[in-house]
Amino acid sequence: MTLFSWLELLASGLITGGIYALVALGLNLQYGLMRILNIAHGEFLMLGAYLTWMAQTSLGVSPLLMVPVSFLVLMALGVVIHKLCFRRLTVTSPNLDIFEARGLMVAFGLMFLVQNFASFMWGGDLRGYDYLTEPVKIGDAQFAGNKLLVFGLALLFSGVLIAVLRFTLLGKGVRALMQSPVGAQLVGIDTQRLHPLMFGIGLGLSGMAGCLLSMAYTITPAMGEPYTVTALIVITLGGFGSMSGALAGGLLLGVIEALGMHFTNPSLKALLSYSVFIAVLLLRPRGLFAK
Amino acid sequence: MVQPSKRQLLKGAAAAVGAAAFAPSLFAQAKPVRVGYAIARTGPWTGGAQVSQEPNYLLWAEQQNAAGGLSVGGTRRPIELISSDDRSDIETCVRSYEKLMGSDKVDLVLAPWGSNANFAVAPLANRFQYPLLAPTALSRRLVEMKLPYFFLLLQQPKSMCDALVDMLKANGVKSVAVVYVDDLFGLENFAALKVALQGTGIQMVEDKSYPGGVKDLSPVLRSMKDKNPDAFIGFTYPPDTILASKQAKEIGFNPKFFYASVGTAFQLYKNVMTPAGAEGVLGMGSWNSKTSPGAKAYFDAHTKKFAGKEPDRWASGACWAGMEILTAGVAKVGLDRKALRDYFAGTTHKTIIGDVKFSGSENTATPGTVSQWQNGEFEVVWPQKVATAKLNPAKPVWK
Repeated sequence: MTLFSWLELLASGLITGGIYALVALGLNLQYGLMRILNIAHGEFLMLGAYLTWMAQTSLGVSPLLMVPVSFLVLMALGVVIHKLCFRRLTVTSPNLDIFEARGLMVAFGLMFLVQNFASFMWGGDLRGYDYLTEPVKIGDAQFAGNKLLVFGLALLFSGVLIAVLRFTLLGKGVRALMQSPVGAQLVGIDTQRLHPLMFGIGLGLSGMAGCLLSMAYTITPAMGEPYTVTALIVITLGGFGSMSGALAGGLLLGVIEALGMHFTNPSLKALLSYSVFIAVLLLRPRGLFAK
Repeated sequence: MVQPSKRQLLKGAAAAVGAAAFAPSLFAQAKPVRVGYAIARTGPWTGGAQVSQEPNYLLWAEQQNAAGGLSVGGTRRPIELISSDDRSDIETCVRSYEKLMGSDKVDLVLAPWGSNANFAVAPLANRFQYPLLAPTALSRRLVEMKLPYFFLLLQQPKSMCDALVDMLKANGVKSVAVVYVDDLFGLENFAALKVALQGTGIQMVEDKSYPGGVKDLSPVLRSMKDKNPDAFIGFTYPPDTILASKQAKEIGFNPKFFYASVGTAFQLYKNVMTPAGAEGVLGMGSWNSKTSPGAKAYFDAHTKKFAGKEPDRWASGACWAGMEILTAGVAKVGLDRKALRDYFAGTTHKTIIGDVKFSGSENTATPGTVSQWQNGEFEVVWPQKVATAKLNPAKPVWK
């Protein structure tokens, strides 16, 4: 294999990895910060994809414009869902472990609700549209315009999120919450407002990921589940609660899969991803990048 | 509250009297024919099931009922569909059919979607002695089970692959690269292709399998592009068919013959790839509205009922042919299931896709075919005796 084909292969892995990272970031925000293992994360991604598809095909709205719209709609939905379900759980659960178990059950319920809502609304047909599929040449390599866009935006949003968490007062509060919820409350951080907001941003990120994915893939009501699983693998790789870990983990998983598929067989992809997952859980249970 | 006027009251009373006068005769003839099925409305099979199959069941029931009902040995009786969602789950599917045939004792059953579900349901239907016409099952093994009550409408892997290889050979193809989904459908087609290629001098330069629901095929397509084959062959399902096409376009992999399987015949394909982008793409298809006047009437009725949603140019045709066979059979022999089975097995059926005749479970009258997107229509291009247009032997660049 030439150096050039290597680069091309790595690049296609990174592009897929960028999407994984974006999906994982949202889940990480929910799980790392609030211990809500939102199994329905992929379902909200699917909602974002359907919103975009609907706006594009029936109203002719540019999918690019739908990126912020999906974010805001899903974020609002997230705040409402948090208020309806998870806030009550926080109040009624005696400790964090019980909260986590109950939260998981609620998320399962949400998964079925949202998936069936989509089937009811839009039917089970495959959907899709054509947007920016023209190949873009970079040197001798070719990539689809929409994939490059998706990759660029995924990196941008991940970067923004990491920067906000690291450099702003809000971010400091959030990080404090991750480290010690009780301690954070003691120093006057308003968890009542921060929790719904962060949950909403988590869903907003998944809606945005869905919007971006709909540019490159066909969509169905069942499209979300595999992304939830991938996101779980990615945040395990990167360490729960670590945003830069999730970004690096996502990119890494994308590259591993691309190389694996090239040298063995795409059929072995699942085996590969899960081997990495299990190996990390066994050898570095706190994530690849934990200090 | 607004008081109803005297006229309105009179009208209502007249309507009530009228209804009372006619109702008894309506009730007398209204013993419906109960037709049961389970099909995917949720889960991964939905995309195929809701394009190729269930819409046809609904259209059939509507058309028959509009004509006064299904003719059962000459007497018209309304059709009552008893259906449920199998959630793309074999276990649920089998249980639903067990209930329909075992405890509900419906008059007839229609087939579920896909090779896997039919594989599970066919032996059951055989045990309960319900004849089953399967429009979307494609597997040698289903034929080899030799179930007397089971009939496969779709062309099987051997005839489809023979037609494909025949076409490639006639057009001077020397090398092919193949991807296939690693389930019953993909494996059997891949095996049939290998057999068909033997002795043709066409070389298989690369073959790779992939799991259903794959999100990225570009690493595989890139290595195929490096080998520069004359033809690409994908035994793929709808999402992967579109993924492979989009990614081939993305990396500029444009062999002279680009063939993919389930989904190329869907309206979705030209919507997603745009008609110009789909130009020249080959796939599994066997009819379109030019095939016969019946096909045209069916196509138009389908498009009208489902608000512009077109039937696919492969399995939908077979599905509708199955409904035609069922209708004719019930009209001729009634609802005696043994007699119906014998009718299916022993008749050369005239359908919108031409003659259908079963040898054992297999429809051996419909030839294997290849279709190609040309100017926004999926034209049958091979073999020439059933072609609706001439093959374009050099696919234009992806647009």
